[in-house]
Amino acid sequence: MRLQLAPSTVFVLGVLGVLGVLGVFGPVPPARGDGTLAVRGVYYKERATRVMQPMLDAMFDAGTHGVATGHFLVDAITSASASSGAADAKPFTEKRYEAGLGYAHELGVFTLAGDAKYSTESDYVSRYLGARAQAELGQKNTVLGLGGGISLDTVSAAAAQGPSMPTLRCDAAHPVATSCPLDVYSLFASASQIVSRNAVLGVSVDVSTLRGLQSNPYRQAIVGESLVPERHPTERTREAFAASARYYIAPTGTTLIGAYRYYRDSWQVHAHTPEIRIVQEAGYDVDASVRYRYYTQDGAYFYHARYPPDDPAMTQYVSDDVKLSDFTGHTFEAKLGVLGEAFDLGGRWAGARFEGILEYVIQHNRFGNAVIAHVALTLPFDY
Amino acid sequence: MVAAAVRYFFWFAIASALVLGGLGSSGCVVVRAHEREHLAKRAMTDDRSPGEARFFGHERGSREGAEGGNGQPGGGCGCN
Repeated sequence: MRLQLAPSTVFVLGVLGVLGVLGVFGPVPPARGDGTLAVRGVYYKERATRVMQPMLDAMFDAGTHGVATGHFLVDAITSASASSGAADAKPFTEKRYEAGLGYAHELGVFTLAGDAKYSTESDYVSRYLGARAQAELGQKNTVLGLGGGISLDTVSAAAAQGPSMPTLRCDAAHPVATSCPLDVYSLFASASQIVSRNAVLGVSVDVSTLRGLQSNPYRQAIVGESLVPERHPTERTREAFAASARYYIAPTGTTLIGAYRYYRDSWQVHAHTPEIRIVQEAGYDVDASVRYRYYTQDGAYFYHARYPPDDPAMTQYVSDDVKLSDFTGHTFEAKLGVLGEAFDLGGRWAGARFEGILEYVIQHNRFGNAVIAHVALTLPFDY
Repeated sequence: MVAAAVRYFFWFAIASALVLGGLGSSGCVVVRAHEREHLAKRAMTDDRSPGEARFFGHERGSREGAEGGNGQPGGGCGCN
């Protein structure tokens, strides 16, 4: 008789196994290093999609100057559509698995770091490799960062609903294929500056170029009275500029956080994203926060709800991707963080942090509104 | 891509130098380690945990056209 366990059961048993190996349930041994282990579960629901995502994050000292990180997660997507919200969507179930590793090493005022990530699902595989450097200057009042990454992805239509798998048009030179590459090259830089005992400013810029298949293999655009497979340009350059400020009001234990992000790309999508967050301490071991985020974007130059059948210029690229349309959105979030001490827990559990997040997204497009909930436990350990 | 990246990072370096240099020369004091009690508060640092930040980045990428800006492209969701 075979023992069959649900993925969620395997995940929970895995978490308990890792906690056991780390000695979380046992007596505290002599310490050689510190670390944290975080278990998080996320529930996401919108009109046509529900996602359950359990994840595990670990971070621990590696020697006197190194920090290693790792994560593993499962995306369980149900009652969704392969065509990502298309009007002709059919019920769809899929799981995505992702694992990542990273290492950062301190060399005086510099920190050098690298990370790798692998993600796989039935119709999409992603392999990411990145590196970054950070310098802490002026008695750590100024922090400068620079980094880059390469993601080599493979897209297929393996989750197609029907007797045969549709072929993909990777580009003009490869009009019939079962899978297509999508390569992403990115560079990012950041700077932060302490400006007083209570205030920090930060700025960042990101540039990335995508080359390869960027249309959904399942989605179809309306051209005249017909449905035509999506055709997006195979090149896209994206740029994002962001600035943020944090200010601590000591008498009330309140932190004000403001941020603004401007985005533009070669498909002529422009987006503005201001947001504000207020974090209130309630003693040493409890904090609560609220956040509001506004999002607005222009549509891509080739996006139309319907395309005329007899205009070759307009139908060179056709899209049914609602993310490329003109729309606005509002996000409201409430978050509560509590340390184990608040529950009179002792030992390791005194430093454990429990977190709950509830988010509601109002989005004026076909996706509709969404609800997101997180619960998380972060546990410190030494070894 | 390379030319665009060089151009943007050049302007970023200039802008950062101007902003940070301006802050440094306009009377912003150097805050020493023992004066950073408030700056060490969780909310004054990058206080989103890796899992939280990763999920929000992925979720926004599947709902909004302005994905990116976090230095972590890819990840895959079959939802281009």
